[in-house]
Amino acid sequence: MTFASLIFYLLGLVVLIATLLAVTARNLMHAVVHLVISFVGTAMLFYLLGASLLAALEVIVYAGAIMVLFVFIVMTLAMPVSGGEGWRYPLQWLPAGVLCLVLLVAFTALLAAGPSVAQPMSLASASPLDLGVYVFQRYWLAVEVVSFLLFAALAGALYLGRKSRTERQGEGR
Amino acid sequence: MVPLEHVLVLASLLFLVGAACVVARRNLLMIIIGVEVMLNAAGLALVGGSLYWRNLDGQALVVFILAVAAAEVSVGLALVVLAHRRRRSLNPDDFKMLGGSR
Amino acid sequence: MKGLVLIMLLAPLAGAALNALAGSRLGRNGVRASACAAVLIALAAAAGALILSHGRIQDFTLWSWIKVGSFQAAMDVHYDSLAGLMAMMVTFVGSVIHLYSASFMREDQGLVRYYVYLNLFTFFMLVVTLADNLAFLYLGWEGMGFCSYALIGFWYGDNEKASAGRKAFLYTRIGDIAFGVVLALCFVWFDDLTITGINAQAAGLSHGAALALGLLLFWAAAGKSAQLPLSVWLPDAMAGPSPVSALIHAATMVTAGVYLLMRLFPVLQASPEVMWLLAAVGALTALWAALAALAQRDIKRVLAYSTLSQVGYMFLAVGASDIVAGMFHLLSHAFFKSLLFLAAGCVIQALDEEHDIFRMGGLQRKMPQVGMLFFIGALCLSAFPLLGGFFSKDRILLAAFLEPGLSYKLFWAAGFLAALLTPLYTFRAYFVAFGPRKAGSEVKPSRGTPRFMTAVLWPLALLALMDGLLNLPMGPGKHWLARFFSNVPGARIELPASGGMELAMALVSAVGVLAALGLAVWLYRGRAAESAEKGWRQALAQALYLDRLQLSLLVRPYRAVSNFLWREVDDGGLDLGFTTLAQGLGIVSRGWAAWSGGRLTVYLFSVLLALAAVVVLLTFAWFA
Repeated sequence: MTFASLIFYLLGLVVLIATLLAVTARNLMHAVVHLVISFVGTAMLFYLLGASLLAALEVIVYAGAIMVLFVFIVMTLAMPVSGGEGWRYPLQWLPAGVLCLVLLVAFTALLAAGPSVAQPMSLASASPLDLGVYVFQRYWLAVEVVSFLLFAALAGALYLGRKSRTERQGEGR
Repeated sequence: MVPLEHVLVLASLLFLVGAACVVARRNLLMIIIGVEVMLNAAGLALVGGSLYWRNLDGQALVVFILAVAAAEVSVGLALVVLAHRRRRSLNPDDFKMLGGSR
Repeated sequence: MKGLVLIMLLAPLAGAALNALAGSRLGRNGVRASACAAVLIALAAAAGALILSHGRIQDFTLWSWIKVGSFQAAMDVHYDSLAGLMAMMVTFVGSVIHLYSASFMREDQGLVRYYVYLNLFTFFMLVVTLADNLAFLYLGWEGMGFCSYALIGFWYGDNEKASAGRKAFLYTRIGDIAFGVVLALCFVWFDDLTITGINAQAAGLSHGAALALGLLLFWAAAGKSAQLPLSVWLPDAMAGPSPVSALIHAATMVTAGVYLLMRLFPVLQASPEVMWLLAAVGALTALWAALAALAQRDIKRVLAYSTLSQVGYMFLAVGASDIVAGMFHLLSHAFFKSLLFLAAGCVIQALDEEHDIFRMGGLQRKMPQVGMLFFIGALCLSAFPLLGGFFSKDRILLAAFLEPGLSYKLFWAAGFLAALLTPLYTFRAYFVAFGPRKAGSEVKPSRGTPRFMTAVLWPLALLALMDGLLNLPMGPGKHWLARFFSNVPGARIELPASGGMELAMALVSAVGVLAALGLAVWLYRGRAAESAEKGWRQALAQALYLDRLQLSLLVRPYRAVSNFLWREVDDGGLDLGFTTLAQGLGIVSRGWAAWSGGRLTVYLFSVLLALAAVVVLLTFAWFA
């Protein structure tokens, strides 16, 4: 058990617990915060697995932008704290739980029965420069397309989120 | 370091937690959160694979996944706000106007 | 010859068809005239056929009805002396009854229906009389059963009367099942369904086969002729109009069973056990019915039990291998019993449907002609010496006595005892109904009896009186009937008894009858009432509870089983099963419908479910 693998397992545990807390949180805000912790943990895992740029991007984009967006929406919607959800009875959780358990067993069985790759991976790291060059060289078209996608998302979100005419009139007065 | 299988096991665990969240929670926002968790888990698996095969394709894909996730969340949340304005509820079961013969 | 037979068969059928189709248009007179004409034509044809046949056997085919492979059911006719004489009797008595009915049913609503069934019945009876092919005979047999059901339950508005018709039909049906089996067996064993063919092959039958056929024939005949144990329908069948009782229960249907036995006599002869059984059942029925007749209050029921008793004698005759005696008694009985029934009908109608003899009385003075006719009939029934019934009954008893074996002597004893009881019950009925009563307690008929109704009965009375001349045991023209039947297989001309024995037996019978007559006069003349029905009197009146016994032994368990099958199996099991299935389908389909109700959560769950299914499948595929 090397130091890196220990870190890995620890981080894995943290991420898992944080995600579980997020998923089972009654309070939406709590859920978001737990999820932020989960994403930061994931970012550290990325770093450990040699993707330093991705670690940074994970924190900036995922934890920083997406989760903040969530926070804004939660605050805007002014719903009761529990999100108006009557829940936690077995019938709600049980089908999903059972299916996920089944899937877990299947995945684990498949992984365990794979070709013998149970030896630890060796550490490596890709510098941001390497990754950047790689992406822009090989996947330049995808980059352009994604920028279009982001623009479309921006326009769409703006349109969908605009205030209705009555609301705007009310505001202008 | 750890074998690839362990990374994949962690990724699948996270993925299934996200799937359970999507299926079991009766709140639109929690459903979207579940989707984010799943995307994140997929990214973890890709990075692990990338390390194993020493190939940057996996990491490149994760970049795009992040971008797409961001776009999807913004549009999705805008839709949730719109739906909430109409119906004053975040419960997906209240939004079945288009559904079924009943 | 063939033409005459065809006319004989088709005339009543045509009469029935005409009245059925156009009866309402013909009017009451037209219906009566056409129906009576049909039977009278048949009578003429029967007489002509009898004369023209010159005592020879005639076999011919009317129509090749069914022919499938080696199965042939053609409408064959086997006209021998037996058939010829039987046809004469059926048409003659039928004519009298048709004419009588014209007057008896003059005010009835269902006149057209009555005559249709009466004609139809005559047709079917003639089919049974003349048929050679057993399938053709079965047609007539079943047709008679149906017509008797329709005629017994003629006044079907009354539930009891309708039930009586059903009861008769069901009981005879039980016998008919045996007849069906006989048909099948004959086809399998002989490949020939004709009476001539079967009789020819009868001698070669194995013991078991003869026994089987004989027993089945016995059962079929017992059903139609109301012998024990299938007797209980006959007393209840008195619910029908009196002329119907006269036709069906004196002359024709009840004799059809005996007639069948006589036609297929060689088959019965091949099995001594069956002969013994026939004699036993006949003797037992004769005695039992005579005892029951002694306690009846309804005049028609007295006559009904009397019929059972007399037909028992005919069975005894066949069992004692003397079909001449059986046929002789059949003829006598047809004449005097129908006379009795028709006279009783006059009385019943005149007294406004009163059947109880103890509520009649002194009728000889009020209705002299009817009283005389009834008296003549009673004398013949009692086997008064030198009258019709005397010679026939005497010959039967002699034949039974002469058969080897102690049991036959017992049968003779039973028959003799019944012969002593016969005058007793007959004259009980006569004296109580017609005999003189204390002045003031006599019953006055409320309606007059049309002269025509009594007029048609006199020929019948005459024949009943003179019927003994057919087969005198001595003197010129002796054994005329027996010699006339010489072309019938199994008929014996003379019984193997010495002249002395015959004379002795005749004397004993005569003395017995006269003594019983005297007893009847002493007991019943002037009697106006009888002690209440309890104890032995009730037992006899209920005919030793045979009906109730069959009800509790057979009918109740059957009803219980069928109720069970209805409630538990059908309603509970099948219906419930189907209903549950339908409800289950409803539940399943409603559950299924919930799947596409437009609910997001259900869709998301479906995706996860599909994913799980695919992954699990792939996992199994990987590891398999």
